[in-house]
Amino acid sequence: MWNLLEYAAWALSALFGVLMVADLIRIDITYDNELLISSREGEIEATAERHEI
Amino acid sequence: MAYEPPKQSMAGQIFDVITLLVLTIGALYIPLYLGLAGAAKVPNPITNPTWESLGQNATEQQQWAALGITDPAAANEIITARFDYSFSWTALIVMAVLVIGYFVMVVRLSDREYREVIEERFGTKRR
Amino acid sequence: MQDLASTAAGTDRIRLLRVLGPSHVWALGVGIVLVGEYMGWNFSVGKGGMIAGLMACWVAGLLYTCVAMIDSEVTSTVAAAGGQYAQAKHIVGPLMAFNVGLFLVMAYTMLEAANAITVGFLLDTVAGMQGQAGLHQQPFIVLAIMFLAWLNYRGVLATLTFNLVITAIAFIAIVALFVSVQFGASAVPLDFSAITSDPLPYGWVGIVASLHFGLWYYLGIEGTCQAAEEVRSPARSLPYGTMAGIMTLLIAATMTWYICSGLMPWEYLGQAGTPLFDAARVTGNTSLMVLLFVGTAFATLASANGCINDASRAWFSMSRDRYLPSWFGAVHPVYRTPYRAIVFLVPIALIFALGAPLDQVVTFSILSGLLGYTFMTFNMVMFRNKWPLDRIKRGYVHPFHPLPTIVLLILCSTAYFAVFLGYGTQLSAMMCFYIVASLWFHFRRYKFVRRGDQFTMPWPKPQGY
Repeated sequence: MWNLLEYAAWALSALFGVLMVADLIRIDITYDNELLISSREGEIEATAERHEI
Repeated sequence: MAYEPPKQSMAGQIFDVITLLVLTIGALYIPLYLGLAGAAKVPNPITNPTWESLGQNATEQQQWAALGITDPAAANEIITARFDYSFSWTALIVMAVLVIGYFVMVVRLSDREYREVIEERFGTKRR
Repeated sequence: MQDLASTAAGTDRIRLLRVLGPSHVWALGVGIVLVGEYMGWNFSVGKGGMIAGLMACWVAGLLYTCVAMIDSEVTSTVAAAGGQYAQAKHIVGPLMAFNVGLFLVMAYTMLEAANAITVGFLLDTVAGMQGQAGLHQQPFIVLAIMFLAWLNYRGVLATLTFNLVITAIAFIAIVALFVSVQFGASAVPLDFSAITSDPLPYGWVGIVASLHFGLWYYLGIEGTCQAAEEVRSPARSLPYGTMAGIMTLLIAATMTWYICSGLMPWEYLGQAGTPLFDAARVTGNTSLMVLLFVGTAFATLASANGCINDASRAWFSMSRDRYLPSWFGAVHPVYRTPYRAIVFLVPIALIFALGAPLDQVVTFSILSGLLGYTFMTFNMVMFRNKWPLDRIKRGYVHPFHPLPTIVLLILCSTAYFAVFLGYGTQLSAMMCFYIVASLWFHFRRYKFVRRGDQFTMPWPKPQGY
């Protein structure tokens, strides 16, 4: 029983790994890199919280 | 004129990541390979152990039994093992200098960089 | 550089999603830490005896209460992904920020590896109890990391809702064990006679030494502020979730010490692998045993999950500012997660989970955490000096300043000494690592960083500059 579980664990690990990497490649091909890294720090601050007294 | 950084090539990015990785793995594994890592307990087993001579009362004996250890000889090493807390003052001073020196260095260099940031962010030349 | 307001108004940017509430913050903070009650803290009993274990529990509790208070004030004001990293950037400077970012990534990735190792160990124990000796632990270690990374990849709300559920179950398991034992569910009575018969086997130095692992009760609670960019109302939720978290942990830690010290001889407890599960075994009650097994498994998974979340946020923020290669600073256009950082950190965690012994990994994690707490002390003082209370509005103002800072600094120094007793080599190796990394950053990496972008908060100019 435990031997089977070991194989199942390997298989599932591989599945999750492949899902992630495949999606990563798909996204990188579909979208422009400049757009993907366009997030900037402090946008919340600028829109929501002004820290004024 | 604000400072415009150079754009880094892909190869440069990969090289930087690898540098950092080598540093990290080195810091963890070098003490390990040199056999300098870790403080192990040293067991001082007594001869002909009984629960009484090991200082375990009736309730504690029951607890050992519940954990699957009914023979005092099996618990002998666990009970008598002790750490050694002796240390050298030189090593302590070296460590203190390292930690304090590190923080002083980081804060001073940071401050230099921080002044540039503030200059550019709040300076009169702001666009 | 463009004006901030117009940058924010632009719609052609992808950002992290703001979906979390205070309960998720609690789940992130407590989820990472609660595993400390299920394994690891008990080495403090081994290092100094039963009383030392309790003293370490409370002294470390005091240390972390200071951490939570200081952190709540700063983070309710500097709310950005990366938590303490963003704080350091605004208050101390870029190099400090780079170091703090590294502390965070190291502390969490190592903790994640330690959790995965524990999952493997736990399954090995269960397989052993069912008569299957010599289980291969690797597939389960890999699976735990892969599954949780995938969950993190798919979105933060599902990840932290999952964490909320399993953390709550793990916490209830501790309370249930405590209550059942109080009402006599245990076949073996509680026994605290070692407090009088063997009070301090190592003398006073034992109390100091035990502080090393006393930190393990709470290590990681400061991770709550990594979620700052994904919380709906950071100035309110972060202090609230963090404070609720530290209270939960103080209760859980004290209960855990009481049950385990009462049900097991301290010599055994001091070297046990899964103390709460062992305590349930001593009671002889099967349902408690199952409950605590589930609790242990859930606590480790919740912790690894939170660690992936936090480490990837820190890595992501550093890359976004080009402290690290900018390629990692990407946000997934659909799931809105820092997906490249998440995927990249998977193999790193695997290297440590499969290759290094548990106590080394744990010590590396504790040390990185400790360096982070030391940073918080002078960070707090500089924050109040550069922006006094009447200059900017804070979401939360902690009382009795500078008392918590001083207490925290004293406790940190003591903790360094505690780690030094036995792990001096690792401490030196790690200091060398951070020194070399700092020089590398200052002289090579910093030239890729845009100066003006390093200050993003809409605050007035700091005093004294």
